[in-house]
Amino acid sequence: MWRDASTWAAEAAAVFAKEWRCEFRTLYALNTLALFAFTTLVVVSFSLGPLGVERSAGSAVLPVLLWIILLFSVAAGLPRTFVQEEESQTAMALRLSATPSALFCGKLLYNLTLVLALEVLVTPAYLIMTSLRVASPGLLVAVLAAGGFGLATGSTLVAAIIAQARSKGTLFSVLSFPIFLPLLILAVELTRGAVFGDPGGVAVPVLLLYDASLTVAGLMLFPLVWNP
Amino acid sequence: MKTFSAWLLWLWMCLVIVGAFFYAPIAVGFRSPGSSRILFFHVPMAWTSFLAFIAAAVWSVKYLLRRNPRDDRAADVAIQLGLLFGVLATVTGALWANIEWGQYWNWDPRQTSLLASILFYAAYLGLRQSVEEPEKRARLAAAYALLGLVVTPFLFWVVPRITTSLHPDPVVNQSGKVDMDAPNLQVLLASGLGFAALFFWIHNLQCRLQALSERRATPKE
Repeated sequence: MWRDASTWAAEAAAVFAKEWRCEFRTLYALNTLALFAFTTLVVVSFSLGPLGVERSAGSAVLPVLLWIILLFSVAAGLPRTFVQEEESQTAMALRLSATPSALFCGKLLYNLTLVLALEVLVTPAYLIMTSLRVASPGLLVAVLAAGGFGLATGSTLVAAIIAQARSKGTLFSVLSFPIFLPLLILAVELTRGAVFGDPGGVAVPVLLLYDASLTVAGLMLFPLVWNP
Repeated sequence: MKTFSAWLLWLWMCLVIVGAFFYAPIAVGFRSPGSSRILFFHVPMAWTSFLAFIAAAVWSVKYLLRRNPRDDRAADVAIQLGLLFGVLATVTGALWANIEWGQYWNWDPRQTSLLASILFYAAYLGLRQSVEEPEKRARLAAAYALLGLVVTPFLFWVVPRITTSLHPDPVVNQSGKVDMDAPNLQVLLASGLGFAALFFWIHNLQCRLQALSERRATPKE
């Protein structure tokens, strides 16, 4: 029993390590995510920053745009996790060598670190360039972490689905955005709360609950998606 | 027998329509009291789309367990019909919202959640179109439909409870009481039953139709 658990964890860790080793060879995903995010950020902060609109209008609009930047960067970079396996025809080898749930966890952990790295890079730059003042930074950090986790989980499952379909890039957005919709509504609401200094109230546990249910659904559905 | 039950359904729906306009008393407290009769059609349509999505999830589970293409087809058709009833509920709701609240679209939580679940299930149809191989299509679509079981409860129960709604209280309201005149409730439930039967009838026809056209499309050996 314990032995099984340790091999499972070792498999998940091996997948995670393999993902990062591949990533460091090309830095493809990190470059895509960061470049995409920064380009959008420059556009947004130029036209909606201190030069563009009044501070009060900016505080209402800027939290929404932060999440839109994050969402689209995720859609640009994360589908690759599984698409690349199908394209380089390593998917079959992966099917043979790892338990589906361990594979899912390894890939999820990789995507999560990518999203969190993106948030760490982008959010401070966004706040500085738009001179947006955040009344409760703690809440902002919590929302970014919880929202980022949800984005990573949803993307991992959807990436596994679209990797097996045609027209992969567009299909990712079509399939994942409806899943992210409740998540984004909550995250935007809470980010706005962080900017104005409202405590989140019931939205915080609901966001965590959504993250948890996405993770459970991912763990249950991934083996069905992955194994032919 | 089949034609008989179809006629019975026709008669039932006629009775519901007559009941909605002549038997149920006019509601009080609305800006335009006559318009409240849309309740007898709008609410059952929303229920039916919900029923269709749940039925699709059940057929998807059945498919994943037994891998019978018939279950996959049933789930597909159920989602198509769920979308149809969902769009009808949205449109009738918007018409009534314009009369009662002065605007077709108010981002009311219920409007928003129905719209979001329509988007989700429309994406399901998009997924089906981009996978060629039938077995793979069925498997991926079933998994995605089951993901709907996570997304839709949040849309239907959680989001409306966080933000305030203009919507009239649901029939069974938050205190768990049925708060409606008896004749109104009778007509509403009868209409709900009629719409559910209508769904299963159309579903059956559509599944048979789709099976026939699939058989025609595959070349004979």
